[in-house]
Amino acid sequence: MMTATIHITLNGFEEAVVSEATIASLIRDFNEQDSDLIVEHNGCFVYPAEYGKRVLQDGDRLEFINPNFGG
Amino acid sequence: MTSPHPGPKSVRTVDTDSDKGKTDGKSMLRQKDRERYQRQIGLPEIGEQGQKRLGRSRVLLAGLGGLGSVLAASLCAAGVGFLRIADRDRVELSNLNRQILHWTADIGREKTVSAGEKLAAFNPEVVLEPRQIAIAEDTVQELLRDCQIIVDGTDNLESRRVLNRASLKTGLPFIHGGINGFNGMLSTFIPGRTPCFECLFSEFGGGSGCPSVLGATAGIVGSLQSLEALKYLLGMHAELLTGRLLIVQGRSMTFRKIRLEPNPACPECG
Ligand SMILES: [Zn+2]
Repeated sequence: MMTATIHITLNGFEEAVVSEATIASLIRDFNEQDSDLIVEHNGCFVYPAEYGKRVLQDGDRLEFINPNFGG
Repeated sequence: MTSPHPGPKSVRTVDTDSDKGKTDGKSMLRQKDRERYQRQIGLPEIGEQGQKRLGRSRVLLAGLGGLGSVLAASLCAAGVGFLRIADRDRVELSNLNRQILHWTADIGREKTVSAGEKLAAFNPEVVLEPRQIAIAEDTVQELLRDCQIIVDGTDNLESRRVLNRASLKTGLPFIHGGINGFNGMLSTFIPGRTPCFECLFSEFGGGSGCPSVLGATAGIVGSLQSLEALKYLLGMHAELLTGRLLIVQGRSMTFRKIRLEPNPACPECG
């Protein structure tokens, strides 16, 4: 049996991901766990404590953003 | 004089009150101010009363690098009354691609002196207080004294953490901005009304040292921060960049606002 997939937009590109994907699992899948990231989910800033709990839905928009701390 | 006094010093000749009019809200602007600020007094959001309000305003600008140069110039040009400028560094050749208040002949000079000179010549009506000092836990309270607003021209997380804690402690708004390469981000943090800087960034590490950055990016983000500061000082509090983080992506010319919710796990305000 095939794992169900959903389609989300990640950093402007459409991606097919497993239907139970969370923000935390996507950060692992996209190999971003070592970088300081801001996560935007459907226009909202997501705090790290939420990453493992936030299950993605079909059509969600996600952005991984590198924060800018220079001046 | 044997020992240099380490305390604050203001650079400008102080005008006598006779030339200045009283500060009771009904008084008139001086003719030279009316002329200097003519092209902004014409804005319905400002007018003569708003200009006088700016003239009574007191600002701490922390950092005189890329963002700080732009912030200082535009706050001075707009006619804030008092600007305390703090930085501990000296001007280096590699600063000059983006720190537009510092020029080639300034290399090796204290940034507060280099900036103070230009700003005083730019707009002698502004009372400047240069403080060649680090932004740290044991200096920040004194740096904030009698100021209404904290403007972020710093280039590192640690200084911003110090400024954020001071903002939470005093209730003063913190106009944050940061840049890297073609990109930047900014938000206006107001204690009690918005999440704070640490709500967003408490889990972040020290950063990557010295990011590469374009002067044009500093110009964009610094100008947006100064617009926020001026709006706050003018009392336009309903239209600030509060509860939002503005993400500026210069390569794609994308400006996007991200909604911020309170963070119950924030170590500073949660
Ligand atoms: Zn907070």
